[in-house]
Amino acid sequence: MSKPTNSVTGSVAIPPGLARPLGIGGGVLAILGALLPWVTFLLNDGAYPDKATLQFFDAPYAVSGFRLHVLLLGVVAIVAHFIPVPLRRVLRALGWGLIGVAAVNIVFPLVDGGGFGAITSDGTNFAFGGIVSLIAGIALVLAAKTGPLEPVPQWKTSVPTLVAYAVLVVSFVALLLVVAMMLNAGGQGGVGNPYAGPIFLSLLAFLAGVLGALHGIGLTGWISGLSDKHKWFSVIVLVLVALALPFTEAGTDYWMTTAANIGVYAATAIGLNIVVGLAGLLDLGYVAFLGIGAFVAANFSGAAAAAFDIELPFVVAAIIAAVVAGIFGAVVGSPTLRVRGDYLAIVTLAFGEIFKKAAQNNIGGLTGGANAIPNVPPINWFGASFDESLTIGSLELPSGVLYYVLIIVLVALVMVVFANLKNSRIGRAWIAIREDEDAARAMGIKTGQAKILAFLIGATLAGLAGAVFAHKTSTVAYDSFQFIESVTLLAAVILGGMGSIPGAVLGAALLLVLPEKLREFSDYRLMLFGLALVLIMRFRPQGLVPDRHRRAELADEGADGVPIEELNVHDTPGDEKAVTR
Amino acid sequence: MATLLQQLINGLVLGGLIALIALGYTMVYGIIQLINFAHGEVFMVGGFASLATYSYVLPESWRDHGHWPIALPLMALGGAVVAVVLAVAMERLAYRPLRNAPRLAPLITALGVSVILKEAVRLWYPGATAPVPFPRAFVDEQFRFQLGEGTVTIGATAILMIVVSILGAIILQTYITRSRMGRAMRATAQDPDTARLMGVNPNRTIVLTFTIGGALAGLAGVLYGIHITNVDTEVGFLYGIFAFTAAVLGGVGSIKGAVIGGFAIGLIKTLSGQYLPGGTQYDLVWIFVLLIVVLVFRPQGLFGEPERVRA
Repeated sequence: MSKPTNSVTGSVAIPPGLARPLGIGGGVLAILGALLPWVTFLLNDGAYPDKATLQFFDAPYAVSGFRLHVLLLGVVAIVAHFIPVPLRRVLRALGWGLIGVAAVNIVFPLVDGGGFGAITSDGTNFAFGGIVSLIAGIALVLAAKTGPLEPVPQWKTSVPTLVAYAVLVVSFVALLLVVAMMLNAGGQGGVGNPYAGPIFLSLLAFLAGVLGALHGIGLTGWISGLSDKHKWFSVIVLVLVALALPFTEAGTDYWMTTAANIGVYAATAIGLNIVVGLAGLLDLGYVAFLGIGAFVAANFSGAAAAAFDIELPFVVAAIIAAVVAGIFGAVVGSPTLRVRGDYLAIVTLAFGEIFKKAAQNNIGGLTGGANAIPNVPPINWFGASFDESLTIGSLELPSGVLYYVLIIVLVALVMVVFANLKNSRIGRAWIAIREDEDAARAMGIKTGQAKILAFLIGATLAGLAGAVFAHKTSTVAYDSFQFIESVTLLAAVILGGMGSIPGAVLGAALLLVLPEKLREFSDYRLMLFGLALVLIMRFRPQGLVPDRHRRAELADEGADGVPIEELNVHDTPGDEKAVTR
Repeated sequence: MATLLQQLINGLVLGGLIALIALGYTMVYGIIQLINFAHGEVFMVGGFASLATYSYVLPESWRDHGHWPIALPLMALGGAVVAVVLAVAMERLAYRPLRNAPRLAPLITALGVSVILKEAVRLWYPGATAPVPFPRAFVDEQFRFQLGEGTVTIGATAILMIVVSILGAIILQTYITRSRMGRAMRATAQDPDTARLMGVNPNRTIVLTFTIGGALAGLAGVLYGIHITNVDTEVGFLYGIFAFTAAVLGGVGSIKGAVIGGFAIGLIKTLSGQYLPGGTQYDLVWIFVLLIVVLVFRPQGLFGEPERVRA
């Protein structure tokens, strides 16, 4: 008797004969589930409890919001059986998406006392939609387990330049629309709409399913291949698209402010990514450089509490802030000459704490101590104060839009710096140090210089971000730069994927958008950060958007020669492996 | 003169506390080369657990001053048991799966665990968003001496702290050098693979290490509570750093080093707060500076052996 296929993913072996029944059956069930009544009857415009009834029966076949998503997932699952795609990959993604959507819409009314999705009734009618969709999702996932996952197809990237440009523009605009939709889904969260969280999570699950399916058929790989080939064009389009966000439905004061915050954190996270992701030096006090930049800029801003009674133009102040932060970076980095690994992490942590203590005690009258430096004036260029709304012709743009634009430019700049460094001689030296410091030294790399340079450049970028931060928040206080902020930045880098540029931005965005959306869990924010760190290290050490060319140190092989991904049971077997086989 | 003596005593008390926590750090690092960042939080949870034992487990009539010979050991037991369970669970769930991962992975995990523990207590222990008071007039005998112009005060809890920490270290040292399991621990620390060949079960040894470390941290938690008379979610991080500094100063892996390092840190903190410019506002800064200096110039510490190069 032959052993059933020993899949790394599953302890359950599903006979291949069940693939079709499960797959198509799952799709049909999903369509049914979408049309059945759900207890969480939320059309995207309705409040949760009012609509969480069975009034669905008044308009039996009206679908919108998450039910539309379920319907789409089901239809795609069926269609996928009849076209040449890596079926099991697609079904797996769609299935998890369905499970996510169904689970969110079952669990939330449960938490809210509305009863379990399937069994709450208004007397005679039962709302089975959630349960049916959940079963559909599980069926699809099981169908995907009937055999090993197919390799992701590699589409040809040698297409005419114009076609490539068109594809890139379309994909980035689509990305913009999706982002705007996500930001707007369910509104801003908090008191205004207590159900922003579930609506957002449900949409997120749907999008994750769709994205997974697109990845499975090789589309996302193709697009990223194209954007790699036409790098400059992609960067320009991406920046333009990002600048277009204020014109979409997400162009509100609130999201502009949040997006600007994300930008500050993203720029800082990219700087940290140089130190941690490229050079492999763990820095646990990194937020201090953001703080140094912010305090320097605040002191030169002409604020009443500033130590110097001069008001420098923002650009000059920002450059000074970056330089000062860079100098401190070199100082903090200098122990790397003698200290390695986790001892170095502790040294950086100690520096971070020293900075915090010094700022708290108003060292040299530079930080305002517990009083902070309040009333830092907004940036003012050509008579336009950055905190006011902007009118171009008949178009009224929300306040904070200028900060948003500035931050986008800053992040783009930092990304370009990072990308160029990464592929330069010094970038390769950093990666060599990360992989094996002794071997790097033997190859003639001046490891000491390279490591200090990593700290210096990373700190400079953080200082630059700090200058913007000071003007944007208008109050610079020592308690904005505590250990937990360093952990947050580190979490952003690790979540996104060490050494990966889009990863750091995505990580920062997720860590700042999720708390805005999930206000009802705001108490649990830090705990979820901690949990995220633990789970990522355990199940996906390479992060959400892993650096494709070189696997980060954390996705390295374990001491037994077994890749980390294979040491766990729940994660997917390494995608790279499937390709190279 | 009296001030100096008083600060010396305060330093020794603080040092005893730090030494108890540092023992856990040093043992875990010695055996699996992991900076168990969450160890400070285990200490903090131990403090809360002993308080919970007092407030929710002990009968009302035992909570007065006269009953301390029963109540205190029970509180210590409560704190230590919870701390041990926590430390072992941590090892089993978070660190063991990463045993063969690159070194940054367990460190970042430890950071995550530390945040989770702190937040869990802050959110779920009643009233823990602010420092929670320990019962005040519980063990509060004070001994006073006249010395020249001033008076020097030693509390019963202070004496207890110093005695327990020294006693704990001596027992631990004896256990590790004399007993069979102690020998297994030393063997695993030196070379896990060879130890395994010699019939040592590394997993059991590592769990034992975490158990001992957790128990000592739990004990430190209860002593901290009755001495300071409150416990706060913030102390885990702070004392964790102190204890780590002590462990490094003394030489990671060395019991003697952790104890001496602990007392040194305690004395430095109180004396620098008293005599150095900036006073208590900067006493932490001196400790961090010392930590950096030791790590840079003598990473093997005072009593440690130079670190083996690990692949």
